[in-house]
Amino acid sequence: MKFSTALSAIVLCASALHAADLPESDYYKITTFDTPEGTALEVSAIELLPGDRLALGTRRGEIWTVSGAEAAEPSALKYQLFAAGQHEVMGLAYSKKDDSIFTTNRYEVARLKDDDGDGRADTFATVSDGWGVSGDYHEYAFGSRFDKDGDLWVTLCLTGSFSSAIDFRGWAMRIKPDGTMVPTCSGVRSPGGIGFDADGEVYFTDNQGPWRGACTLQHLIPGTFQGHPGGFKWYDKAPNMGPRPVEPTDKSRMVTERERIKELVPPAVYLVHAKIGNSSSFIVCDQSAGKFGPFEKQLFIADQSASNISRVFLEEVNGIKQGAVFPFLKGFKSGIIGGRMDDVHGQIFAGGSDRGWGSKGGKPFDFERVNWTGKVPFEVHEMHAKPDGFEVTFTEPVDRATAGNVASYSMREFTYIYRAEYGSPEVDDVIPKITAATVGADGKSVRLTISPLTKGHIHELHLDGVRSTSGGALVHPVGYYTLNEIPKT
Amino acid sequence: MRTFLSLLLASIFTIATATAETFTFIIKTLPAQMRYDTTELTVTPGSEVKIAFENPDDMPHNLLFFQPGTDVVAVCNAQLEKPEEALKRDWIPTDPRLLAHTPLVNPKGRAELAFRAPDAAGVYPFVCSMPGHAAIMQGRMRVSGAAPKLQDLKFAMYLGAWKTLPDFPTLKPFREGELKDGLVEIKLDDYRNDFGVVYSAKVNAETAGDYTFAITGDDGVRLSIDGKKLVEHDGIHPAADIRAGKVKLAAGTHDFRLEYFQAAGEAEIFAAWSGPTFAMTPLSKWTPPNWKEGAQAKRKDPNSGMPLTVEKEPVIYRNFIVGAGDRGIAVGYPGGFNIAWNAETMALALVWRGAFIDAARHWTDRGGGAQPPLGYDVLNAGGESGLPLAVVADGSEWPRLAKGERATDFKWRGYTLDHGRFPTFSYDWNGVKVSDRFDVAGNGTTDSGKLTRTVKLDGAVPAGALFRLAAGAAQPTGDGAWIVENGTKMRVSADGAKLAGKSLVVPARSEIVVTYSWPTGAR
Repeated sequence: MKFSTALSAIVLCASALHAADLPESDYYKITTFDTPEGTALEVSAIELLPGDRLALGTRRGEIWTVSGAEAAEPSALKYQLFAAGQHEVMGLAYSKKDDSIFTTNRYEVARLKDDDGDGRADTFATVSDGWGVSGDYHEYAFGSRFDKDGDLWVTLCLTGSFSSAIDFRGWAMRIKPDGTMVPTCSGVRSPGGIGFDADGEVYFTDNQGPWRGACTLQHLIPGTFQGHPGGFKWYDKAPNMGPRPVEPTDKSRMVTERERIKELVPPAVYLVHAKIGNSSSFIVCDQSAGKFGPFEKQLFIADQSASNISRVFLEEVNGIKQGAVFPFLKGFKSGIIGGRMDDVHGQIFAGGSDRGWGSKGGKPFDFERVNWTGKVPFEVHEMHAKPDGFEVTFTEPVDRATAGNVASYSMREFTYIYRAEYGSPEVDDVIPKITAATVGADGKSVRLTISPLTKGHIHELHLDGVRSTSGGALVHPVGYYTLNEIPKT
Repeated sequence: MRTFLSLLLASIFTIATATAETFTFIIKTLPAQMRYDTTELTVTPGSEVKIAFENPDDMPHNLLFFQPGTDVVAVCNAQLEKPEEALKRDWIPTDPRLLAHTPLVNPKGRAELAFRAPDAAGVYPFVCSMPGHAAIMQGRMRVSGAAPKLQDLKFAMYLGAWKTLPDFPTLKPFREGELKDGLVEIKLDDYRNDFGVVYSAKVNAETAGDYTFAITGDDGVRLSIDGKKLVEHDGIHPAADIRAGKVKLAAGTHDFRLEYFQAAGEAEIFAAWSGPTFAMTPLSKWTPPNWKEGAQAKRKDPNSGMPLTVEKEPVIYRNFIVGAGDRGIAVGYPGGFNIAWNAETMALALVWRGAFIDAARHWTDRGGGAQPPLGYDVLNAGGESGLPLAVVADGSEWPRLAKGERATDFKWRGYTLDHGRFPTFSYDWNGVKVSDRFDVAGNGTTDSGKLTRTVKLDGAVPAGALFRLAAGAAQPTGDGAWIVENGTKMRVSADGAKLAGKSLVVPARSEIVVTYSWPTGAR
């Protein structure tokens, strides 16, 4: 683990023997499973099935059911090939009502069912194939699980991840239970995964490229424009969406264009390029009521390139979702793409592949699991925007002297250029003053007064000097808050 | 010297032109592959190197050259430990072994790079330093001096009629001699047939490292280095297939032994070698016309090598299949029968026999492109995306879909698998529920094989509706069947089959049974 070295260099001055010396793996443990012989288990989607089983979808178009992976001490996993030959499986959703697995492949949502009980699917009933495919490899389709209304969501990557050659490339669609396809959001670029927050709100991750300065977490609100105008022409085929939005101005800023384009939803969180990752993928939400540690209801977002998972705290300010992303856990063996939270056992299943895109993990594919060891890491728990700063809460009581000292903190504010060119440097730097750090009565929170706050900027907070009451430094003393809105109160 | 060098320069992977001491290359990224199109460059020490770097891929890349022996993957991966700093440098490492580099080149962008080639001969790795790319996105620039010649090259000629290389040490040479210019050649004298030659010499490896020897002959050849067989192409054959072997050599001289025999007809021998400091260079007087291409280690075709095998059950493969639209479903049936169904048109697109399909194109790299069948005798039954059912006025064309067009009166319903895993495809057409399945009898690769297709229509079939069995020119056989020709010839038989323009059709009805077979003696 390089982590402890890097961290101690930055953080630890006096004592070298505190909890912060412990690696991430002391708090969260990754278990790497053996995979079936004779195939490359390039996991691209994971779903939970009844009876403590899982379904894994792969880039090679296989769907495997697995038993034994959920056990506290997994021994031999049992794999059963449920279906093969699907055109990439980027979404799996189990329906108890139909006792079926709904799968999203490249050109359709289909219901797969094992009718004769031999463990293999016999029915491959198309639910919707309403969107276009032009034969371009990059036209991925990612499917969700069922939302609170029983709909499935599909995000459709742009053609070559740049343009929209055919119907609804660059859109998010909803598939109703009767198979009706509803164009729901424009502005998708190159999606990486769809997930829900604890309230059932729908999000997807989008990837750095044109009109995306960095990878982002996007809130899918029906009727909205998510930022990339490449698919605007399909408004002609989506009367439910109203008129086509105003085109964004090139080389502008998200905060500026929001004023011009009423349908434009800013990224809820920028998954800051290189620092958080380069290629965001799945989104899961911890609703395990503590079985996965102290981050109840927060989101965990994976990165294929960095082979890591980051943690996101979200809140709603002036009607807009926004929040902060924190490093969480690295060291996955391949480029993780598919993931699923298992709230019953408090664990995340993850798997992926690095095929065609490199990953830090280095292995061609993987299937893994993350468990909380039971030890609470000293971390920022939540980061709330305030009219004049932030309130930061912690997982452990803080040392009042260090946490109450403004010198323990530093902040930088920056944003990205909103432009047609690929990606963006970090621009418009502001170094604000931290004028006060007041430890709350609960001893687990700090109120930071910061001047100025900059609407639309990412507020990069370093907490290098903060110590817990036991003297430990933060496991990850940094967070990146995307301040779309400054709260009024 | 100049001519000689320019001979050395061009590798199969690039177009290099030598003007004075300038070497110009175009290096492109391969879209969807995380690779460069050019992975081997050869230049002379101290020359001017100019590179136009083009990036048609859909993500940013760069091009960095390092000193010989640099572990470029480790250098690039080390940046991921401090990504904030690497980002500020656009992912250009600070490693002192970095020789030259382009800036970060955005998708569809290009950059130019010019630098002076090092004076030291050697292999200089190049790589893309964007996060995660280095492991596969790399190549090498060889700064190449001249290759050493064979020393003390001697030959021993033997007489005899052989079909494979004989055990020369047990034979008595007919004639022995020296080749003073250090190049292997056949001294024919009066012997044009039925002889053999053993060449022995010393090769001087100026530096320790990997050396590649390439040989071919007409007829059999075998090369041994330090008494160990390295590469061989025995038997009677033309000198077309160049074979190469790699060996690690310590610095210093090594024994070179090349054995050859000639049966009858043409007589040729070729040998060449490459090493850490020089490119592939002939060691023989004669060189085959394709020697430069052939003597290079052949690059593996990333689009082949993963054939899907069909055993007792049909195998389904949904992907981009040439001739089956963008929603293709290939099915390999037991017995060497294969079809591709088009879920855009709802029609049978292709029928072929033999091997099923190679998945390598889609299961390697990012999986771009469409894959043709792996087998043979491919009938293009679907024509140009023709629809299966239509009411067509006499003389008008059979309806088809343009690229990307969807059939408005058809709805794809998916498929079911029976206990034998045979699929039945389902779709709706104007309120009629249609199912389509295939059964097999015999072996498709023999004349006895037969594919039986059963199409069922449930609902009110419009008057005059026709079902298309196959697209293409068709001739009646006289015994009720038709020979359709579209890519290959197939015998197609169904009650009521008739020609409608360039389509073989039957009137649409509740059940249509069609047989498809390859005509007797077609192969």
